[in-house]
Parts: sequence; structure tokens; C-alpha cells
Amino acid sequence: MSKAFRWILLSAGVLALALALQPASAADVKVTLWRLKTYIPPADKILDTSIQECGKKIGAEVTIQTYTFDDMWTRYTAAIESKTLPDVAELDAVGPARLANLGRLSDVSDLVGTVTKELGDLAQNAEGAVKFGGKFYAVPHYAIPLILFYRKDLLEKVGAQPPDTWEAINEISVKIKKAGLQDFPQGFPWNRTGDGYDPAMSLLWSYGAAWVDKSGKFIGIPKDKAVQAIKVVTPAYVTDKTAAFDYLSWSGSANNEAFMAGKIAFTPNGPSILFQEDSTKHPLRKDTAIKLMPKGPVGRNLALTFVMNWGIPVDGKQQKEARALVACLMSKEKFTTYMTGSFQQAVPLFKSLINHEYWNTRDGKVIAETVKLGRPVGWPGPTTPAAAEVVSSNVLTDMMTRVIVDKVTPEKAVEEADKRIKEIYDRLPIK
Amino acid sequence: MSKILTQPAATVPRAAGPAWFRVNRVQERLLGYALIAPIALLIVALIAYPFLNAIWLSLTEKMVGYPAHFVGLKNYATLYESPRFRIVAWNSVVYTVGSISAKLVIGMVMAVALQKAVRGNQLLRGFLLLPWVIPTVVIALTWRWLLDLYRGLFNVGLHDLGIIGAGIHWLGNPDLAMLSVIMANVWRGFPFFGVSFLAAMQTVPQDLYDAASVDGASAWQQFWRVSLPSIKGVVAIVTLLSTIWTLNDFNIVYIMTRGGPGAATHIFATYSYELGIQSQRWGMAMAASMYSLPVIALLIVFVVRYLHREEPAS
Repeated sequence: MSKAFRWILLSAGVLALALALQPASAADVKVTLWRLKTYIPPADKILDTSIQECGKKIGAEVTIQTYTFDDMWTRYTAAIESKTLPDVAELDAVGPARLANLGRLSDVSDLVGTVTKELGDLAQNAEGAVKFGGKFYAVPHYAIPLILFYRKDLLEKVGAQPPDTWEAINEISVKIKKAGLQDFPQGFPWNRTGDGYDPAMSLLWSYGAAWVDKSGKFIGIPKDKAVQAIKVVTPAYVTDKTAAFDYLSWSGSANNEAFMAGKIAFTPNGPSILFQEDSTKHPLRKDTAIKLMPKGPVGRNLALTFVMNWGIPVDGKQQKEARALVACLMSKEKFTTYMTGSFQQAVPLFKSLINHEYWNTRDGKVIAETVKLGRPVGWPGPTTPAAAEVVSSNVLTDMMTRVIVDKVTPEKAVEEADKRIKEIYDRLPIK
Repeated sequence: MSKILTQPAATVPRAAGPAWFRVNRVQERLLGYALIAPIALLIVALIAYPFLNAIWLSLTEKMVGYPAHFVGLKNYATLYESPRFRIVAWNSVVYTVGSISAKLVIGMVMAVALQKAVRGNQLLRGFLLLPWVIPTVVIALTWRWLLDLYRGLFNVGLHDLGIIGAGIHWLGNPDLAMLSVIMANVWRGFPFFGVSFLAAMQTVPQDLYDAASVDGASAWQQFWRVSLPSIKGVVAIVTLLSTIWTLNDFNIVYIMTRGGPGAATHIFATYSYELGIQSQRWGMAMAASMYSLPVIALLIVFVVRYLHREEPAS
């Protein structure tokens, strides 16, 4: 072997050793993040920019993947089974309960502590969706509250005040129909969309018809109260005819469209209608008003169904970077930018920002108040996998449609729903 | 002669060629196995394993993320006793039979109408294939819009023509909702029937029609006595394939009604999706979808036996 060749060989060996031993560079750290694609594209853009800026700050390359409410669980189901959950997962209201129960989420109590130092205490009503067995398994990101949209011009025409109860909505709807202003003014779709099952939960809870105790244990639906609740909302379809059967088949955005087309006077929805009307300078914007969803005999127990939370799945290899990324996104500066760019859709669940001046507008106050009054899925207990399945199996909205479509009595519909819910709670014990 | 016939095959001289190229019977067999191995592996991986796994899952209590526990036929029994599943099963029958019957009739009319060579026929055939080539998702969304209470072309058109006063609740009324999803499915599927029947009809010898015509057969009699018997094999195959596709259909129903109102249009596929993805109950979801399997298997056996019986005659 020649001397020159020996030198080349030695140099190559040293170089290879140096490359092998060098510390991982920023580009080597790859973090995957899944997030919800919302109905507010400018807000999504702000969030993506923040994610990339935070990625740079923590020295990681972040890959973002999105999903909608419709395909969210298709994606998560596959990932749970194949153990390919991302490093950071934005989960819906029931996601933390489902994944934590499977032992697939990291304890993020320390991270929640970090966030609360900057954003103030976590709202008590948000804890039920992310805190199980004394530990936090997700950091609440924001809530999209469902509010009552109504046409103030039509109410003025029939001499009605903005409604505060379900009965008042019925009465005003009849007046609007009788006045010939609209054929079917009441746009409450009791169907398989969030605009169906969120109001269904709020309605039952506001009539005292919750089916669990404070520990989350099934105690059965109080039949008389549930029947009373059903009897207050089904006449719109069955006897008053102030709601069209077609509303039962609405997709998630159809009630927005019907409201903006001037076909309905009332509908439950997130603030996206305001965004759509503002951004398109819609002629109905001046006549569009919002209010808290109606109260019942036991108060106003509004469901917080659309809460998004940051979870750190145990599948992820970049645990440290994932936590740093969430901490960065939830920093006051980043979150404020996102919140104020969300057209009032992203309501914080930490105390300092829910009292931010941004919410100090006529609409903003209603939206923030809705979140303050919100109850987690599974109320009055915590969110459990069983509570999650009651929502995803559409038990409550099926109960309404059994009366409206299949013409069964409210009593029988409640009995059937109670049986279905019991079966779910029997099958899904809390670990 | 008999000696030659009983001679072992291995000793029969094989094709000429260099010595290294010649193979004995064992080698030939091994080569055969090696050649079919890739496709056999693909079939096992892509068809047999998922299918057998689905059957296995249907016999287990399997929640997403939890291990599966064998429960035998419990899922099937639970579904059988479930009033909700019975509605789903009945809806699947109505949806499939309704869709297939309409597609069969419309497809046959299309084939007969296009059989005659007239000017512009080729263009019309291509045009009629449009529903078949458009993605199902687009079709479902389009039909959803067509049937919308306020903005839908159906209601607006019927109203403008003075046929109806208020709009018809196509997707909210349980009976009309089923009719609506059937209409969308028929619109999507009838060209497949029409084109297949047309292709089969064009293989029927003209002599048969000429002979029938000489015998004084009317157009209807020519269709009934000549065309239809000649294409019945194709009719059977096309109907079988379409029945399987319709029974397993998901997109049209899910996009148009999500199985609603209530459970009025829930069929096997949408119900399985609700159980498997939304409720995370894979075992039960697999059992629900497996309920259609015996029906499909019976149909396949029936059609295959029918075709075998027809073969010698033809």
C-alpha cells in the first residue's frame, strides 16, 4: 500500500468518524403537527406562520398536516391503530379523553403550568376535557362557541324581543311564519353535525336531563325532564311547521348558507357566519345579531363541544421539541396574534386573554360569555370515552329525529336513547 | 402406440435447446411456482389477508386502540336484535333493489335507442357516458344541490312551472330522501348498463333480426325474442357487478344525507362507518358490513352457475 493511499484512507476514516459524532443539527429534528382546518382561512394562515416561526426558534423543521371536523377521526383512527400519531396533535373536545384512556398521550401538566404562568389560570369548565386522574393530558388551545344567530329586522317587524328561551324562539318563529316573512324561520338541525348535537346537549342539560353524576358515572336520563326538553323543540317540525324537514339533512355549512340567503331567522352556529358576512360585505350583516343560546328551567348549561386542544402523543419521537413548540404557540404574543386574527372564532380558555379588550365589543362579549358558561362534553362529570361516544353515535339527535321523523312518542324516544347510552357506558369503563 | 402413451412424461423429449436450458419436470414445476409467486403474494396481501382479517375482527370485541377479544358471533347477534340495524338492513335492500331495477330498465332503453346507426349516434353515446366518468363525490354534491329546498334546480324549476307551490323536502322527508339517493345512484350507474347492453346487442347477427322480420315479428317481439335472449349473459354479469357496487356504496348516501333523516337512508356502508370510525367499534362495524356478504356470495354462485349452464348451448 503506498503512503499516499494510506493517508487518503486515514483522512476518510477521520472524516467519517467526525460526521458520525457531530451533534444533530436543527434540520435533523423533524416534528410533525396535525391541526384542524377551520372555516376562517386567514386565521389558519396566522397559525401556520406561528408554527413555522416557533419551529425555527426551537431548531426543528415542522411538517403541518390538516384535517377538517369531518375527516378528523378517520385520520386519528388509522394513526391510533398503526401507532403513527404525530408529535403534536390538535385534538377536538373528546380527543384527549379517548387518547388518554388508551395511554397514548403524554402527561403535560408541567406544560399547562408554563402556559398558565403567562396566560393566567385555565378556566374551570375547560379542565373536564383535558384533566383526568389529577393530570393534564392536553393544553386547551381555543374554543369555538355555538351562539344563537337571529335576524333582528324580522324580530322588529313582528314586534318581538330577542329570545332567551326555547319557548320564545318557538313563539317568534310562529309569528314570522304567520306574517309571511319566511316559510320556515327556525333553523335548528337535529342531525349528525356539530350544529345538531351541540345544541341537543345544551338543551337537555338546560332542562336538567344530564345522564351522569359528577364523577362521570351513568345514572340514567331523567325521563320527565328529557321528555319536557324534546316537547319544546319538536313542535317546530311536527305541529308548528316553522322548521323544514330538509333542515334535518343539512351539512355543517348549510345553515350558514340558509341564514345568509335570508331563508331562516334563527340558527345555532360558530362565529363563522359573522366572518363570512363581514368579509363579503353581505347585505344581511346589518340585520344579523347574535345572542347566548337559550336557557332552560335549570339555567343555561351550554355545551363546549368545539374545544381544540394540543396533545403530545407518546408515539412521537420528538417529545422535548413537541412540548417546546406547544409552549411557543401558547405564548402570549403568538396566541394573541392568532386570537385577534381569528375573526372572534378562537376564544381562549385561559383567564387573562378571555378578558382581553379584543372581546370588549357587542358581539365579542356574547361569544366570550358563551365560553365562560360552557360545560365540557360529559357534564356534570369529566369528558370520558363513553361521553365521547354518546356524541359520536348521535344518540341525542337520533332521539329528536325519532319523534320528528319516525313519529314515536317522546317517552319512547327517551327510553331508547337511555338504553343506548347505558350500553355505551357499560362497554367503556374509565381506566 | 399404447406404450408411447403410457411412457412417463419426464422421458418424453422436450423442446430442443442447449443442455443448460433444458429442464426436467420438477424444475418446470418449480419455475411455474416461481412465476406465479409474485401475483399470489399480491393476492394474499391485498385481498386474502384484509378479507380474512375483516372476518376475524367481526368475531371480536375490538375497539380502536384496544386489543381484540374473541366473542364469537356476539356482534352478529347484537346487530340482529338491534331495531336500528334492521332498519339499516331494510334500507340497504330498498336502496339496492330500487337502484338496480331502475338502472336495468333505463340502461336497456338506452341500449335499444342507440342500437340503430343514426347520425350523431357516436357523439350521443359519448355524452351518455358522462355520469359514469364523473367522480362520485361530485355527483353526490351536485344532486344535493339539485334537491336543495331553496336553491335546488328541482324545486325552483317545478315552482317556476307552476307545478308546486312550496318546495318539496327531498332530503328531509324519509321516503323522499331514500328516493333521492336512489335517483343519484341510478343517474350515476345507468350508462354502465346501457353501454354494456349496447356492446352485447351489437354482437347479435343481423341475420337473426332479418329472419324474425321476414316471419313478421314486430320491433318489440324482435327485442323480446332475439335481442334479450342473446344478451342475457351480459345482463346477468352487469346486474351482479352493479348489485355488489350498490350494496357497498358509501359516497352518495354519506354526502347527500349522512344516513338521515334519523336512520331513514342509513345503509350497510354508512352504518359501518358510523360504528367503525365515529364510535371506534371496529368489531361491530366489520360485523355490520359482513351481513351483506352472504347475499353477494349467493348472487355470485347463482350467476356463475347460470353462465356455466348457458355456455354449452352457446
